[in-house]
Amino acid sequence: MKSKLGEFTKGIIKDNPTYVQVLGMCPTLATTTSAKNGFGMGLAATAVLVMSNIVISAIRKTVPEKIRIPIFITVIATFVTIVDLVMHAYTYSLWKTLGLFIPLIVVNCIIMGRAEAYASKHGVFDSLLDGLGMGVGFTLSLTILGSVRELLGNGTIFDIPVWGKAFNVFAMILPPGAYLTLGLFAALFAAIGISKGERAKKKAQQAQKVGEQK
Amino acid sequence: MKKEMIKTSLILMIYTLVAGLALSVVYKLTEVRITEAEMENVIKSMELLLTDEKGSNLVSSEEIKRKVIEERKNAGKEIYTNGVGTVVSPVYEFKANHATYYVLVGYAVGYGGKVITMAAFEKNEDLRLRAIKVLDYSQETPGLGAKIAEDEVQQRFYPIPSSGLEKGLKVDKDAGKTVTDPEISKSEGVVKVSDVMTGATITPRAVANSINAMYEYLKKEYLK
Repeated sequence: MKSKLGEFTKGIIKDNPTYVQVLGMCPTLATTTSAKNGFGMGLAATAVLVMSNIVISAIRKTVPEKIRIPIFITVIATFVTIVDLVMHAYTYSLWKTLGLFIPLIVVNCIIMGRAEAYASKHGVFDSLLDGLGMGVGFTLSLTILGSVRELLGNGTIFDIPVWGKAFNVFAMILPPGAYLTLGLFAALFAAIGISKGERAKKKAQQAQKVGEQK
Repeated sequence: MKKEMIKTSLILMIYTLVAGLALSVVYKLTEVRITEAEMENVIKSMELLLTDEKGSNLVSSEEIKRKVIEERKNAGKEIYTNGVGTVVSPVYEFKANHATYYVLVGYAVGYGGKVITMAAFEKNEDLRLRAIKVLDYSQETPGLGAKIAEDEVQQRFYPIPSSGLEKGLKVDKDAGKTVTDPEISKSEGVVKVSDVMTGATITPRAVANSINAMYEYLKKEYLK
């Protein structure tokens, strides 16, 4: 049995939804023009992801195989609308800032992807951890991506000035900047994955050798 | 086979029914609070627009609150359009000691959708634009058009004397000349934004268009 902690932490590096699984590219590319926007999108998606993972894993045994996709979509869309309404009513200024991102969550394929790949096959508590881990991974990825783009394009991180306007590469805030940064980060995560895999292989070989010598 | 089809559709129906029910409950629970929050936002923006440079209110906040609640039923109707900019009802009119203030809401289409602006006009000898606040820019690109939210940017749109309003507001890129001092160009109706909103012309253009529509309506119809 895998550890409960592993269910949570796998979403952050090993199965990072953005850079490793390459899920949810639409909001990733569209909303990471600044660190704050990336962070906001990540948080809103995490809230929906955790709730939809819990509900979908709870109802997984009553859902017929053939119509699971429409049912999952119904659950997700319902939660997104609820989050939208509640935020509109009680956290008005936050809703104003994130207003653009909330409807986008419905089409975020991380949520659909985790529902299909994980929550529909595992128990409620594991699904909650999975949702939380993936959500944190998504939020971190988007915040990092947003920070890099904001820094290179605007000279600030979270609106805090880092360097003057003379160093700014304006294209970083525009769509090409999103593709460039995303590509470089995906390469970095792939490199980490490969080196980790090789290390594990070497260890296994060494262990084998030691075993043979004995 | 047929039986299975009926069964699956029934199950799907139950799920959508439950979802619909849950949504209607949440909607009912939040409905009042959402209207309140929206109204609070309108009142707060209006208070901000009707404050002078020293920070004292030109119109008391009770008066503003009363007016907003009074006009609530008429709110949100399109009352004037000039093709690019549209004015939405009502016109909030406040009589103060030295001047009359008119607060209007209007919109024009920006990069991704409506950009909604609230503007306060001041009238004694002539009609001037006192201040504006962009209420909704949620469809504009973050980091580009959405920069319209910053005070530094919005301050470039006011105050505009009547000579500038008569000519019609333009952003400096559309005016076709280089503007060095943003304050001087205001009397000619040119709003300098190219330095504070690099790469985004469409959003400030929408704000300028809606201000023009509001001024036209106020002058041609409301104050006729």
